[in-house]
Amino acid sequence: MHSTRTRISARVATIAALATVVTACAGGASDDGDDEVLQVTMGNHVYTDQVRAVIPVFEEETGLTVEVTVYGEDQLSDQYNVRLNAGSDEIDVMMFRTLQEGELFSQNGWLSDLSAYAEEAEEWDLSDFQEGPLEALTVDGSLVGIPAVTEREVLYYRTDLLAAAGLGVPETLEELEAAAAAIQDGNTDVAGFVGRGATAQAVPTFASYLYGFGGDWTDDDGAAAIDSPEAVDAYEYYGGLLRDYGPEGATSFGWTEAMAVFSQGGAGFYTEADSLYLNATDPAKSAVADDVGFAVFPAGPAGAKPFNIPSYALGISEYSTNKDAAWRFIEYMTGADQVLEFQQAGVPGARDSVWDDPEGLSGFPEDLSAVIAESVRIGVGYDRPRVARVGEARDIVGQPLVVAIQGGDVADAADAASEAFQVLLDDDRG
Amino acid sequence: MTTTARAASGPTNAAGGVSRWANRHRKWVFSLPAMVFVTGLIVFPLAYTVVLSLTDARGSIRAPFDFVGVANYADVLTDTTRFWPAVARTAGFTVAAVALEMTLGFTIALLLRRPFRAQGLVRVVILLPLVATPVAVGMMWLLILEPNIGAANQILQMLGLPRSGFVTDAATALPTLVLVDVWQWTPMVALILLAGLTSLSDEAEEAARVDGAGYWARLRLVTVPMMMPTILAALLLRSIDALKTFDILYAVKGRGGGSFHEVETLNIYAYGLNFDYNDYGRASTVLVLFFLMIVGAMLLILLRRGRGHA
Amino acid sequence: MLGALAAPLLWMATASLKTNIDVYDADRILVFTPTLQNYVTVFAQQDFLPALLNSAWVGVASTALSLLIAVPAAYSMSRFAMRRSAAVVLLGRMVPAVTLLVPWYYVFSQLGLVGGYEALVLAHMFVSVPLILYIMLSFFDGVPLELEEAAQVDGLTAIGAFARIAVPLARSGMATASILAFIFSWNNFMFALVLSDNDTRTLPVSLFNFISYASIDWGALMAASVAVTVPIMVFALFTQKHIVAGLTSGATKG
Repeated sequence: MHSTRTRISARVATIAALATVVTACAGGASDDGDDEVLQVTMGNHVYTDQVRAVIPVFEEETGLTVEVTVYGEDQLSDQYNVRLNAGSDEIDVMMFRTLQEGELFSQNGWLSDLSAYAEEAEEWDLSDFQEGPLEALTVDGSLVGIPAVTEREVLYYRTDLLAAAGLGVPETLEELEAAAAAIQDGNTDVAGFVGRGATAQAVPTFASYLYGFGGDWTDDDGAAAIDSPEAVDAYEYYGGLLRDYGPEGATSFGWTEAMAVFSQGGAGFYTEADSLYLNATDPAKSAVADDVGFAVFPAGPAGAKPFNIPSYALGISEYSTNKDAAWRFIEYMTGADQVLEFQQAGVPGARDSVWDDPEGLSGFPEDLSAVIAESVRIGVGYDRPRVARVGEARDIVGQPLVVAIQGGDVADAADAASEAFQVLLDDDRG
Repeated sequence: MTTTARAASGPTNAAGGVSRWANRHRKWVFSLPAMVFVTGLIVFPLAYTVVLSLTDARGSIRAPFDFVGVANYADVLTDTTRFWPAVARTAGFTVAAVALEMTLGFTIALLLRRPFRAQGLVRVVILLPLVATPVAVGMMWLLILEPNIGAANQILQMLGLPRSGFVTDAATALPTLVLVDVWQWTPMVALILLAGLTSLSDEAEEAARVDGAGYWARLRLVTVPMMMPTILAALLLRSIDALKTFDILYAVKGRGGGSFHEVETLNIYAYGLNFDYNDYGRASTVLVLFFLMIVGAMLLILLRRGRGHA
Repeated sequence: MLGALAAPLLWMATASLKTNIDVYDADRILVFTPTLQNYVTVFAQQDFLPALLNSAWVGVASTALSLLIAVPAAYSMSRFAMRRSAAVVLLGRMVPAVTLLVPWYYVFSQLGLVGGYEALVLAHMFVSVPLILYIMLSFFDGVPLELEEAAQVDGLTAIGAFARIAVPLARSGMATASILAFIFSWNNFMFALVLSDNDTRTLPVSLFNFISYASIDWGALMAASVAVTVPIMVFALFTQKHIVAGLTSGATKG
């Protein structure tokens, strides 16, 4: 009884499984040789949502068929790693993180040189793009991507807490520290300041502080410069801010945690990328949605120097067999009209003409748009060391920061980090 | 037994030849498919990894690289900043987690073996932590354990206990994750052991009880020895998985295992080397060494099994 | 103790009914205004239901095929004390997944199998076969030889004895092994990420839809997690009956 049933169910299972395999084989086979389909890989971002909404229009205009595959940020990176290491031709258009992966991908030979396409596209106008982003995407003379989305570091603050303390919006880093102290003293359970503190993740946030103190990752000769007096001051300042006026566990904070604290009303100030603003101003996500204000990143001894970076760019895989079609896609999505449309929907692009256009700012909340316009003007084009091995570099240069947060010897840590960084720099160019 | 009544549907003449051959060689007919399948799928990757570990490949595997012989191994084995701490963390995490899981799992299995009302439901509830997707589990614990706004500290405060940094505090991060791992995987151990317990015959234990043996004595002298194969199976499977633990560590701490590499085990380290640093030579070296360690640990367990197997 | 096991998941379930802002609020653990919006978001996602079906297909296929090759292997390795061969199969489980990703992707893409169900099923089988083998090994160890020998005296072939005597006796082991294998397949993320494409994407990968560059939709993520968990609970409920049946069949008693 039981045994026959087992035998029969085993047989059924086998047949079912084999049937699946066979039909899948048949299904799989038909996918081969589909040259007309343009394969676009993108990350999970508001930009992607906007692009996808526009694709039907693109398809109609050009007669191409587009297939978009979307992954989370880290997964996108891993995908590229696995597929491009295997030389896959399944990717045509790639959306990638300019400063995190651009140089590496280019060195690996994974990105096509777009200069020829870009120069030919007169109407599309390469010169309209912001200098900084374009420069970040030019490696050894090749243009490896077109900037698609940009972001800057701005100061988020609690209007209510600031008003209660009778303070104006801080315009210098000194004022910021004083204001943070005041807010922390005047309120229970509220930290004066919150920000990212987890080594590698905190590096972009820290960049603006570094520049504001007059420091940089490397000096003019390309040598490691994170042990310079200016850099040490910057580490100590930011680390001190988090140590004295920050919440518990800051050394573990990436943006998710820091934003969570801020949007739940746990802090008075927060320096972060403007692309994340919705998390603080959307009543569905933030408990303090009505009390959030934005200001330009405060000035340090060397001035106000927030970063203004091309977070994502669109490129063409070197292994693609569909490059012309891929360029048409990129040309369309980064064309002036399209960028204006995206910007009006709240996704900041990289075209000067669009930023100059008042329509171009209409997609953002009022005070934020003024802040963005100003930050675009004064922004620095990179927020992390300009190397191919960015992951490792971030771990190295982020280390003194963690030491500062814990109140250790920053100068020592900076020296050690600078040495390690120099080793990486020497190796990187080779 | 109803099945013996049916005459064996013995081989008819046509299929007789095949059937006789199969029966005679059943030892290999039965086991080869599984063995060939597994070895087939790992031969290429293992060879590939070993070869890569002898090179200085980085960035892209298709870029030119040099063979550096055992230089990578020398580097890694003398690396006291990342490699050896990772080894220590892997070992510590595994031993702590598996010990707790085996003990708790066995206890739960013992408690559930006697039929009782709602036992089906209870068994299903037990499965819950196991069934929840690790990705979501990791993020969920992130929120619960957040020191400032998470539920965990709230509950601790309610109970009058001191707050903890949980995973944000480098000292408590790994132990906290051990507990999360125990929460997630004890059900698997319990399930395997329970199935083993319920298929044991009661005779031996009955005999022991009649002879006057107390509960603990029976447990120790009768139940556990009979359960040995199942216990070892659970131990083996769980230990291998624990050594390779990845999902919750990655979901909670991301690449690098935290600002101080506090939860960086060998698997996380190798993953970071591969996908973050793109240092394939070194990553492959770590992976080969990691693999050898896992094999070593398993041999240890298997040898004990061999000795204890009558 | 049951509470300790279930509590975090209850938290997840309640979180799935909250708006994002309530999820963060520790004061609102139990008292909040529920909303079904998260579930709407989840199912409105174009690829959620297809991903569910994909996960189900791959899970069933890989578990069934794994049982097919692992159970006989376990039997034979138990009866013939093939310890070393068993260890060879276990090797499969010892290999860290990272080692497998690029080589497998390369081989599968050369064979044109990437993006199809075959690659996923094979990858999942790779995980399940050692698991099922070892669990069944311990079960067959516990099934006494005498019954099969008696059956063979009565005229059954050796293979027949395996199929009609040994297998039914190890049913509770098979049920356990199947549930676990299915669960591993259901939750497997890494292989699916690399080997699947849009059409064959499985559930864990689609969970990442809710984690985007600039925001994490906690409510929807929790709702998706609950939705992902329910089918397995149903499956587990059904297979539980076989484990219980193992108790009452009394096969090993005389």
